[in-house]
Amino acid sequence: MVFDVFFLQQVINGLSIGCVYALMAIGFTLIFGVLNVVNFAHGEVYTIGAFVGLMVITALAPPLLAVVPLVLAVGAVSGVGLERIAFRPFRRFTDEASQKSRAMREATLLSSLAVSIVTREIMMHIFGGDMQGIPSGYLLQQPVAIGPIMVASGSLVIFATSAVMLGALQFLLYRTQTGLGIRAVSNNQLGARYVGINTDRTIVTTFAVGSMLGATAGILVGLYDGAISPHMGFAPGVKAFVAMVMGGLSSIPGAVACALLLGVSESIATEFLSSGWKDLITYSLLVITLVFFPQGLFGHGRERA
Amino acid sequence: MSNTLLSIQGLTRRFGGLLAVSDVSATIAKGELVGLIGPNGAGKTTLFNLITGFTPPSDGTVTFDGQDVTGRKPWQIARMGMGRTFQNLRVFPNMTVFDNVSVGAVGAFGQSPWRALVNGGAHSRAVSERSWEALERVGLTAQAGDIAANLSYGKRKYLEIARALATSPRLLILDEPAAGLNDTETAELADFIRRLHAGGVTVLLVEHDMGLVMGSCSRVIVLASGRKIADGTPEAVQRDPAVLEAYLGVEDDAA
Amino acid sequence: MDVNVPDARLMPATLAPPAAFSGRGRRFAWTLLLLAVAFGAVPAAIVGTGSSYLAQIAITTMIFVILSASLNHVTGTAGLLSIGHAAFYGIGAYAAALLSTKLGLPFIVTLPAAGLIAALFGFLVALPTMRLVSIYFAVATLGIGEMIYVILLNWVDFTRGPMGIRGIPPIELFGWQADTLLSRYLAVAVIAVACVWVLHRLTHSYYGNALRALREDDQCADSMGINVERLKIESFVVATFFAGIAGALLAHTSAYIAPDNFRFMESILILAMVVVGGLGSLPGAVVGALFMIVLPEALRDIGDYRMIAVGATMFLSILLLPKGMLAEGTALGFVRRSFSRGWATIAGGTPVGWK
Repeated sequence: MVFDVFFLQQVINGLSIGCVYALMAIGFTLIFGVLNVVNFAHGEVYTIGAFVGLMVITALAPPLLAVVPLVLAVGAVSGVGLERIAFRPFRRFTDEASQKSRAMREATLLSSLAVSIVTREIMMHIFGGDMQGIPSGYLLQQPVAIGPIMVASGSLVIFATSAVMLGALQFLLYRTQTGLGIRAVSNNQLGARYVGINTDRTIVTTFAVGSMLGATAGILVGLYDGAISPHMGFAPGVKAFVAMVMGGLSSIPGAVACALLLGVSESIATEFLSSGWKDLITYSLLVITLVFFPQGLFGHGRERA
Repeated sequence: MSNTLLSIQGLTRRFGGLLAVSDVSATIAKGELVGLIGPNGAGKTTLFNLITGFTPPSDGTVTFDGQDVTGRKPWQIARMGMGRTFQNLRVFPNMTVFDNVSVGAVGAFGQSPWRALVNGGAHSRAVSERSWEALERVGLTAQAGDIAANLSYGKRKYLEIARALATSPRLLILDEPAAGLNDTETAELADFIRRLHAGGVTVLLVEHDMGLVMGSCSRVIVLASGRKIADGTPEAVQRDPAVLEAYLGVEDDAA
Repeated sequence: MDVNVPDARLMPATLAPPAAFSGRGRRFAWTLLLLAVAFGAVPAAIVGTGSSYLAQIAITTMIFVILSASLNHVTGTAGLLSIGHAAFYGIGAYAAALLSTKLGLPFIVTLPAAGLIAALFGFLVALPTMRLVSIYFAVATLGIGEMIYVILLNWVDFTRGPMGIRGIPPIELFGWQADTLLSRYLAVAVIAVACVWVLHRLTHSYYGNALRALREDDQCADSMGINVERLKIESFVVATFFAGIAGALLAHTSAYIAPDNFRFMESILILAMVVVGGLGSLPGAVVGALFMIVLPEALRDIGDYRMIAVGATMFLSILLLPKGMLAEGTALGFVRRSFSRGWATIAGGTPVGWK
């Protein structure tokens, strides 16, 4: 055989992890696009998605397909809430010194971090710090044979969901008035305001959309891995953030490509490195990318990025 | 020739297929007040960036005070005595007026961290006095303690000039200083530049607006489509058919 | 808009040169007060209560004062957002721990060595990353910080991995051993005060103005004759040096270190100290460290809700005072006035410049 089957399976596993990073990275990219600020609480949205999914499953035992719209709704609500609490208050400073002040920019960054700490601690309080198991009926771990390759059903679900969501996002961004608003605000917030776009509403919408993607990623990983915890959002959050930056901050295809690259390289790395070292691969890729492409792989020199 | 302060030879800059500046040569002698004008898109800003080291030339040389400075970094060129202002006002917004100006003086006197730790008294005094002098020259001493972002637009222009003066420039390049000023303010500025020049500073005035340049400069260089099309006294340049064509042929609001 | 343009050679009398600065009395007042707290009140409280808990908090606070002041130097003053500061703290701690446990070197050697090794790493990191702008630089520091953490955790032969290093000898100077709580605190306090003093001299000077110019607009600083690249590297090296010193102090005062002391969240905690205190403000960085260390301890009684309260307080503090408890502008004026670092006062009593 030309391909090593095991290797191919690792690549597929990697792609499904990469899809999860990608869904989160898109959220980061959208939000960074409209606000020029990193949303540190994005990982918590992911965790909330997973926990709400679990709660619904244990309480109502609905069909799997019914869980998804619910998680989407929860994601949207938490995104809107997050924007209200952690970001909007800082838009009250419109004088020039504040706009150009680094202290102000870093304050917004840390306000989302503070919100994420509070959220995580509250979840710890409610659910405890330990791993929570997902009811086995909902697990997506059945092996499915595709030719000689065995793939977990979860991988297939992740691929399908990601494809649908990416398609929907593409439609939203390029075929709707809302999407036009998001793209306009990302391009030039002031200009967008001058042509009559309600920037506040656009920003809220962006948070809702980004958080829907993040929350979905959370429940998918929960079903795939079989266990969730209040800390689960941290690692993929950092990876997705890294993917966004490697992709050039403002490019969604770039972020997706880099997220897939990270997922696959991590998965392959576990073949010849002990799992402790696999993060070294991610971060080496990041640092090497930045040294040779200071604006990311798909960036185009955005001012004051 | 020893009187030449700045000399550019065959300066060319391509951006992809676009020839932004093409084979421009010119000299500026010590003590001159020279204007560089041209319609929008003539390549003034590119030429400016080539001279100050922000953009490396595709071809040609820049000689400042007898030394070839082509390819040197902006801070090296600045330390040799080329001070500049920015067209789109770039004061340090969260610093005080005095601290803004002091950065120019630090550029001139050196920036070693050891001076901040031991035996830096003389250095600090020199920087302080130089900064204060520069503020006196533009008349901003009363605002010395204010945060720069709170100054009016017009005063920020003078702050930029003071900051450039604090670097002790032998050549001061002003990039479109009249942009955004009304007629009265432009007249005041013209007056100020003339006095600065009379005080012994060599000035290169890059302007879009002809009025200011024609009224103040002893010599005018005209740029159009990346090429130098005229170089002479204001009167001669104004009569030059090539200049008239460049300004009238292009739809432009230049006076 | 009125633009007054007096003739340079006809200086009107109203713009007389500023009065020389006189603030010596207040300078001593503030310096004495701070020294009295660090070397009088706190030791008295430690001896009076005999509480090892109190001593431990005081030591931790001092270590974090160094960390937050040094991060403020590079992130607040020079504007390079670093979110991997804890990694250099870790390098310093491991350098001191390994040098003393494996090679048996004394504290007088391990302390500066820890700082220099961390600074060397800082220099190597700074060289290729300095041309990165804002968030790209921040993410690079995050990546490098995590790489260092992964190495500390997994290179078991060298660092003993997650088990950490035990039995690090206490601070010792020429036979005098800091083996009591009080002496341990005093040794750390002396070093912390010295570190802050050095950072104070660097920040509150024209060198500091050049750093601030870099933060505001580095291209513009470049054309004022400031060697921007060199300045960026210098500020990063200085910050990592002091992080290394802080690491050595941690190693020698706690006798035990493990990789988890130097994780990403630790970097974020240090950044939070700087931002809560006031980005760009050295007094703010000190106050921020004090606040973020003492607050969780003060909230111990509410037990499990403690971290929620810490997060909420941090959020409120940033919300209400986004420029920090002691904003940069206020802090610079305060230092000029109260520590007599200003060059002169202008009409209206505003101090300007640096001595």
